[in-house]
Amino acid sequence: MTELKKKVCMVGQFGVGKTSLVRRFVFSLFDDKYLTTIGVKIDRKDVVVGSLALTMILWDLAGEDDLAQIRISHLHGASGYILVADGCRAGSLDKAVELQQRIEEQVGSLPCVLVLNKCDVRERWEVDLAAAAARGWPVFETSAKSGAGVEEMFLGLARKLASEGQ
Amino acid sequence: MAGEEPLAQLRAILLGPDRAAWESMRQRLDNPERRAEDVAGVLAEAVRLRSDAKLRRALQPLLEDALQRSVQSNPKMLAEALFPIFGKAIRRAITAELDGMLQSLSQMLEQSFSARSLRWRFESIRTGRPYSEIVILRSLLFRVQQVFLIHRSSGLLLQHVAVSAAATKDPEMVSGMLTAIQDFVRDSVSASEKENLETIRMGEIGVVLAYGPDAILAGFVRGVAPRNLNALFQDTLDAIEQKYTDALHDFSGDASPFDVCRPRLQALLLGQGGAGQRISTSRGARALLFGVPAVLLLALAVWWVYSAVSERRWMEYAHRLQREPGIIVTQAEKRGASFYIAGLRDPLAVDPTSLVPANVRVADLDPHWEFYHSLGPQFASRRRLDELKGELEHRAFRFATGRADVPPEQRFLLEDVASQMIALIQAGTALGANLQVEVRGNHDPVGTEDFNSALARSRAENTREALITLGVPAGRVTAAAEDRDKETCSAVKEEERLFCRSASFRVHDLNQR
Repeated sequence: MTELKKKVCMVGQFGVGKTSLVRRFVFSLFDDKYLTTIGVKIDRKDVVVGSLALTMILWDLAGEDDLAQIRISHLHGASGYILVADGCRAGSLDKAVELQQRIEEQVGSLPCVLVLNKCDVRERWEVDLAAAAARGWPVFETSAKSGAGVEEMFLGLARKLASEGQ
Repeated sequence: MAGEEPLAQLRAILLGPDRAAWESMRQRLDNPERRAEDVAGVLAEAVRLRSDAKLRRALQPLLEDALQRSVQSNPKMLAEALFPIFGKAIRRAITAELDGMLQSLSQMLEQSFSARSLRWRFESIRTGRPYSEIVILRSLLFRVQQVFLIHRSSGLLLQHVAVSAAATKDPEMVSGMLTAIQDFVRDSVSASEKENLETIRMGEIGVVLAYGPDAILAGFVRGVAPRNLNALFQDTLDAIEQKYTDALHDFSGDASPFDVCRPRLQALLLGQGGAGQRISTSRGARALLFGVPAVLLLALAVWWVYSAVSERRWMEYAHRLQREPGIIVTQAEKRGASFYIAGLRDPLAVDPTSLVPANVRVADLDPHWEFYHSLGPQFASRRRLDELKGELEHRAFRFATGRADVPPEQRFLLEDVASQMIALIQAGTALGANLQVEVRGNHDPVGTEDFNSALARSRAENTREALITLGVPAGRVTAAAEDRDKETCSAVKEEERLFCRSASFRVHDLNQR
């Protein structure tokens, strides 16, 4: 079995649930306080895609808000990234789109997936799913609360990275 | 001509369609400009295909020559192009070198002459490892517990080694976090991309970091890391970067090509943790190994010093004797424990044994003296004095039986004695002696003791008075009450008694009483 390591970043607006999203699904060594202190926290996710054992080193970047900008420099050397938005907040999707553009400008074109979180309260969603899908990114609906869709999201990203790698 | 026409026609029929193509090919081959264009079109591709040593060898002299010409014609251009890289690198290299030098200087002063450093030198020669590495290994209490080889841009772990005892948390994540922390520090102090975090310290754990263009080498060190550990890490990283330039540059997640770096990284797991126990158990054997020769050496040194000091004292004694009048030292040397001295010695000279200093043993002296007569003035006058003294003491002034008066017709005999006395006293004064002549009255054994005693006294006193009238100073001559050689006189025969009825003379040096 081939072993590969990839650096993957998670970005999104403050409070969209990035950290809670992965908490139950990844191997974590460091405390959440690193997010607020140095602005990034490293987790690890192992996925098997076919004959490939993929180790994703997840860089969970502190959420962006009016006060703090994410450090795009953290994305240097990344093989892909996860854009996280809150289905209940249309603004968070706009922020995700804006972040994607900034990354594209500063780091270059990288594989990415869009995650719309809080699918457990689907009835309260504000985001325009069709508009999101139109951007051409794979879109995953997840719930940090129930865990729905999270594994699929990681697997989807892993497949994308694996195909990019070949 | 007629035959060629159909041939040309046939050629046109057969080859007609290809001729245009041939013609164009011929023109391309003949035209150097066209040829250059063609080659230019495929040059880059050709070079890429031929990326082996042969092409490199072919291009190397050209490139070197071109570079040389460029430097000669316009050195400023190249200098400006290289300055941003070199300037900073040189500054840092100098700083690092100075730091290292200061530390190694102080270490050197501490260690250069110790037994420990000799042992290390020996170990360095025996094992073939550089002396500096042995010093690092043995001198400071530290241990490199883990070494991470990290891909620089992604922070992904390329290789990781650790001592078995070190608690290894997930090295993949530690590697990522380490990179993130560096980014954070760099951003926080708004330093440029070129500046790097060099050490991290938390309590007794430190992180040593070395940077290359594509990789980072990080070591977790417990204890006090010596400063040249950084240099060692940097050297190792440079070697890895050089060897795996392409693999590092094109890294896309597969770390297996870097498995071969493991031995290099393992070589960095330096330090001396747990070595203390080994040292303590072998301390007894070591004490024996070093203690016995040390004691022997010490004893040898003490003996040598003692021997040198005693020899010096004996030689001083020999020099002192040499200065002494009437003594000639011909040989003086230490022979084993004793001191051999040989030479000539006047019997009148000072006794050499009396001059032996108190801080050496007289028993160790082995003297061999031959007697001789020194012609030195003080010895000559001394001998003359002894002669005069001997002459005087052999003389006697004789009296008739039962009489004590000095007959006038015999006074001339005393004149002779008086002049001898005066000469003797003068010679003695010249040599610092205070001579006094004792006149003794003698008698024969005939007669009563009382009578004879009075007779002897009268003979001595009469002779003394006569001598004084003849010029001998009164203070220099005394009269003895009684003959002390009475028994000699009583033993002699009648004819010899004549000699007992006399006055005789004894010389004394008052300074020697």
